Amino acid sequence: MLKLAGLVALVAGAAVAAEPVQPSCSLVPGWTQSGAPRSYDADHLFEYMDGNAEGYVRYNFQEMHGVTCKKGDITFVVDISDMGDADFAYGWFSANRDLRTPEFRVGMGGQIVPRRLIFAKGKYYVEIAADPEGDHTAALQAFASALDRAVPGETSPPGALGWFPKEKLQSLKLAPESVLGLRILERGYVAQYDYGKAFVVMDDAASEVMTKLKQRFGQIIPAKIADEAFVATDQYLGRMCVFRKGRYVGGYAISADGADPVTLATALAAAIK
Amino acid sequence: MDSSSRRTFLAAGLALPAAASATTTDSPQTPSQAPVRPAQAPSFQYRTLGKTGLKVTTVGFGCMITSDGSVVERAADLGITYFDTARGYQQGNNERMVGAALKRKRNQIVLSTKSHAATRADALADLDTSLKELGTDHVDIWYLHAKSRPDEITDELIDAQQTARKAGKIRFAGVSTHSGQPELIPFLAKHEKIDVILTAYNFAIDPAVTAAIEQAAKAGKGIVAMKVMAGGSRGGRGRGGPNPNAEKLKKPGAMAAVLRWVTRNPSVHTTIPSMTDMEQLEENIRAGVLAFSDDDAKLLAVHREVIRPFYCNMCGQCDGMCRQGLPVRDVLRFRMYADGYGQFALGRERFQELPAQHAAVRCSECPGCTVACPHGVNVAGGLIRAQELFAC
Repeated sequence: MLKLAGLVALVAGAAVAAEPVQPSCSLVPGWTQSGAPRSYDADHLFEYMDGNAEGYVRYNFQEMHGVTCKKGDITFVVDISDMGDADFAYGWFSANRDLRTPEFRVGMGGQIVPRRLIFAKGKYYVEIAADPEGDHTAALQAFASALDRAVPGETSPPGALGWFPKEKLQSLKLAPESVLGLRILERGYVAQYDYGKAFVVMDDAASEVMTKLKQRFGQIIPAKIADEAFVATDQYLGRMCVFRKGRYVGGYAISADGADPVTLATALAAAIK
Repeated sequence: MDSSSRRTFLAAGLALPAAASATTTDSPQTPSQAPVRPAQAPSFQYRTLGKTGLKVTTVGFGCMITSDGSVVERAADLGITYFDTARGYQQGNNERMVGAALKRKRNQIVLSTKSHAATRADALADLDTSLKELGTDHVDIWYLHAKSRPDEITDELIDAQQTARKAGKIRFAGVSTHSGQPELIPFLAKHEKIDVILTAYNFAIDPAVTAAIEQAAKAGKGIVAMKVMAGGSRGGRGRGGPNPNAEKLKKPGAMAAVLRWVTRNPSVHTTIPSMTDMEQLEENIRAGVLAFSDDDAKLLAVHREVIRPFYCNMCGQCDGMCRQGLPVRDVLRFRMYADGYGQFALGRERFQELPAQHAAVRCSECPGCTVACPHGVNVAGGLIRAQELFAC
């Protein structure tokens, strides 16, 4: 009955957005719940994951509902976190995924490694940790499919991700503050490549941001990209080309020889719709 | 150079050095002072990390929420020598960023990471992954992550650390702790296999923690302080409720004073404030090269005035005043564990140990509180808050 109640809660959560979305072990046949369900808000998440809660909170964590499931000697710790909106949910997923490992198509994006599943869907970040050591991929895939059906929300990743070139991409994540380590760039996507970084920040005061960036880098050379642009050099960020296109500030910071930041930034600006 | 002229010099521009000159401040009798060398860039304070012998800057770098490796790289160039990450931060992505950023400086800095694993095998597997992601063949300190009770320091985890040490994968063994320090740190101080203790520590923390780390430092343990900004640097959420320090510490100079309050304690060898960007890095370095000043003391005293209605100093003058017989000091202390020190679980645990007749009292139902604090603490409000927090 408890399992059924959990399933009902999850389905109800899917139908009524205001209700919390709670996982249930009964989503996959053969699994049973171990212990009581758990829930945490931002003020108490540290009780569950002391030493790691700050990362969640930094990505706008609202609340988490979780349950522990068992099948024989195998334990799955299943948690669904409400990150407030899809940008933050995908952003936290992007901060946690490993682009060296293949994507698993679930929700807006997911990843399965032998002992772990993570994915984002709508405003939710879903994760399962498996124990003991071993390859739990098949069972994790079963849970991923079941949870994908149960968790509400959009399945398309943020459109901004499509603006960045895929070639030689090492990571692509949402930086919730201080993009490129610069406080001026408050929040945006950063793509790491073999040769440097690309970034896009949306800011209603984009013109003001550009002015501050020019002051920050000092010796700049104007460039002709989008609404305004400049080229500069920074000891740590390398050869930079920064542009503004409407409310977006973007650009490249190149650390390797060969790549041309102006050419790359021009293409990035053109990709921004 | 007096402190104001040092400050003027520093404020004139952060022409920070590629290599800072050292001022060793190991002795509690010789409090650290910023070097007085007006023609040069500011110098860091250095201390020895207990019996490890490692020389570390009093301001280290907590990498957990750093947005970009360039900040870490610049910190190393500027002379910060201690860098901390963990296996669990962003599923290891943080270790990869830190490793790449410190690649050029690996042999000149002290690098620590942590494992949350509960078994020997998982811990050692974590360490191998950490080394791979960090791009190094060893870490200087490897912590058992987020322990709060002595029984969590299991023989198999200690064995994992010793095995790693013999294999040359770690130089020193540590334990990190966010809660339960008054009990855990004395245990660690006596533990011969533990070299370094990483603990939450700030000006708003339980005074018992100060005594515990002093004892541990005297026992030769290296002491690294985290959560040094008392929740005031960013956000301030995440520990038992909105942190009462967060908004109030936005006054100019407050965060620097809070950091210096920690670094002035000679039992604290280094600190790991989180730094997200270049601006914060520079702010913390500016703060760290100066000694705790009278101005800092005044600033924190003002802050204490602000928080006085919330914080009981345990003077005991209210003993026996409650008509319900409540142990007022104790209940306020339990509440302070949660609201002040971020130790909600500890507060709840202690509250639930109260005799049933005391745990059942609801001050909100009492017709006028008979407890009058001579120091202005809002006793009734604090007791009601504790009951709301902890009573089920």
